[in-house]
Amino acid sequence: MKRLLVASALAGAMCANVAYAADQLPQANDSYFLAAQQTLQQKLMEQDNTNRAKNIILFVGDGMSIPTVTAARIFEGQKRGVDGESNSLIFGQFPNVALSKTYTHDAQIADSAPTASAMVTGVKLNNGTIGVSKEVARRDCEAQKEHPLTSIAAQAEEKGMSTGWISTARLTHATPAANYVHTADRNWESDSDLTEEAKAGGCKDIALQMIEWKEGGDGFEVAMGGGRRMFMDKTMEDPEDAGKMGQRSDGRDLPKEWVEANGAGAQYIWNQEQFNKLDPAKTKKVLGLFDRSHMEYEADRAKDAAGEPSLAEMTGKAIDILANNDKGFFLMVEAGRIDHAHHAGNAARALEDTVALNDAVKEAMGKVNLNDTLIIVTADHAHTMTISGYASRGNPILGLSEEKGDDGKPYTTLGYMNGPGALKDNLRADLTNVDTTDIDYLQQALVPMSSETHAGDDVAIFAAGPWSHLFKGVVEQNFIYHVMAHASKIQESMASK
Amino acid sequence: MPIGRRTFIAGASASIGLALTRPACAQSRIKIRDLYKTQAEFSAEAKAFAASREIITVPGFMAPPLKADASFFVLTQRPMAVCPFCETSADWPSDIVFVRTRDTVDAVAFNRPIITTGILELGEAKDEETGFVSLVRLVDAQFELI
Repeated sequence: MKRLLVASALAGAMCANVAYAADQLPQANDSYFLAAQQTLQQKLMEQDNTNRAKNIILFVGDGMSIPTVTAARIFEGQKRGVDGESNSLIFGQFPNVALSKTYTHDAQIADSAPTASAMVTGVKLNNGTIGVSKEVARRDCEAQKEHPLTSIAAQAEEKGMSTGWISTARLTHATPAANYVHTADRNWESDSDLTEEAKAGGCKDIALQMIEWKEGGDGFEVAMGGGRRMFMDKTMEDPEDAGKMGQRSDGRDLPKEWVEANGAGAQYIWNQEQFNKLDPAKTKKVLGLFDRSHMEYEADRAKDAAGEPSLAEMTGKAIDILANNDKGFFLMVEAGRIDHAHHAGNAARALEDTVALNDAVKEAMGKVNLNDTLIIVTADHAHTMTISGYASRGNPILGLSEEKGDDGKPYTTLGYMNGPGALKDNLRADLTNVDTTDIDYLQQALVPMSSETHAGDDVAIFAAGPWSHLFKGVVEQNFIYHVMAHASKIQESMASK
Repeated sequence: MPIGRRTFIAGASASIGLALTRPACAQSRIKIRDLYKTQAEFSAEAKAFAASREIITVPGFMAPPLKADASFFVLTQRPMAVCPFCETSADWPSDIVFVRTRDTVDAVAFNRPIITTGILELGEAKDEETGFVSLVRLVDAQFELI
């Protein structure tokens, strides 16, 4: 009887196989079906990479929510004149993806300070704090001194690896600062920003901590981004912006001090021409501060007074410099202004900067070997932008949806839950004759707020290279550190240094 | 002429309010971003408008005022939620226009699109009444809601 059942089951299974053989299905020759079959074969051939990650590159799109990634890939495709909906960003083709839970120790919706720290230290923190444990409340200088965390960059330094960070935001801003700072307040960017209590307590500002940063090694090899004024005294005139001064109150010229402390082979640069002249083979260390505050949005970069490199250009040169070290490197690359454009309710610039991040990833992919380099692309938190309506395939992603709202007015596919796109005490504007694809257009929003807010949705982690297969499922944001540490065996190496 | 970025140099305090009437339909129109070739140089179009002193229109937003009953305001390319003169000049955008109006300005919300009509002036100049130094101005100006 038992044999009979088995035989019967086998026969059934065989019949089922015959009945549903792929090539006999009516849709078997459909282009979607064939493309998905091809993807299936590629996935079946993928093998886990369990090599040691000699190098780690962590890309962070600040505020790069999942709708931002989706809209950016449509945008990028439409700009190139190809089908946007089926287009793929380079990191969208990475083999491993997970969702990241971005809440912080004390907040349902995060800011960039504790989230960046979670990624590079392995624990969750309180909003507004960087590089200090959850025992530290915001602005508590005394607690800051007692509860520092050690970032993966610091561990890499201790191991003799090279380290670097790049951002289109100020280098003293939350995300890049997570690599090197211990601060109870993300706003303590220069000494002028410290409270009297913090000064009295001996807490140092973020710019000074960056310049002095060693933590077991010889300090960073590459730091490029914005925020020049945080490193200059208020008596010092900015080299690019006539009549504008630094922000510090202590009389210090930190870039000069950094160059003097690091000797020959260390260079400070602040414009495109100097960047172009930088020879990676002869450069031991570089500090690049290309703007007084944040660097320009990608959409505005061409108009910068002294010129500034793109995120991709900075990434490529950084890798060339860092790769001079046979022991490997850790590099963080932040597209810091996706977040700022979202805060302004300006989807076009957010998408342009997301595409710039994609270009930077592409640049990195061309310079490293995924056999020994772990690449992660993620975001620190989300934003409130949504993709909604029933737009036809190929409709401009920044354009109007074809149908109208119940108020008889058209609406855009992209919109925000809150922000400056909402008018207080006014009806929604009629967009019939408005060019919503203009770079300066602000998408409509529901709740009027001067600055659009962050959002609490999970964000994506895209990964390729050694041990990237550990990124699957829905994981805590601080798990990112643990994969980087495991893949690079950084703690073992530290012990045996 | 070469110009610095984030042009305004604030003096004391300011104010705001206005009126409008002159139709904005017949004049040449330029966006704030098109006033500049780079952050260090005005565009040829802007220079031509300034040279001809023709009446032009510039769309944008009105930055929040410091106080009522003034006859000027700051025109911004994108909504600026904070009063430019209330913040450190370090964070002012590079592309703002000082607007000297004919009449007292009735302030509107920072994110309400407006179109301003006036005569374009380029180059550093100090406003006698407020003491503000600006590099880009619209004078004899009026505005209307879009």
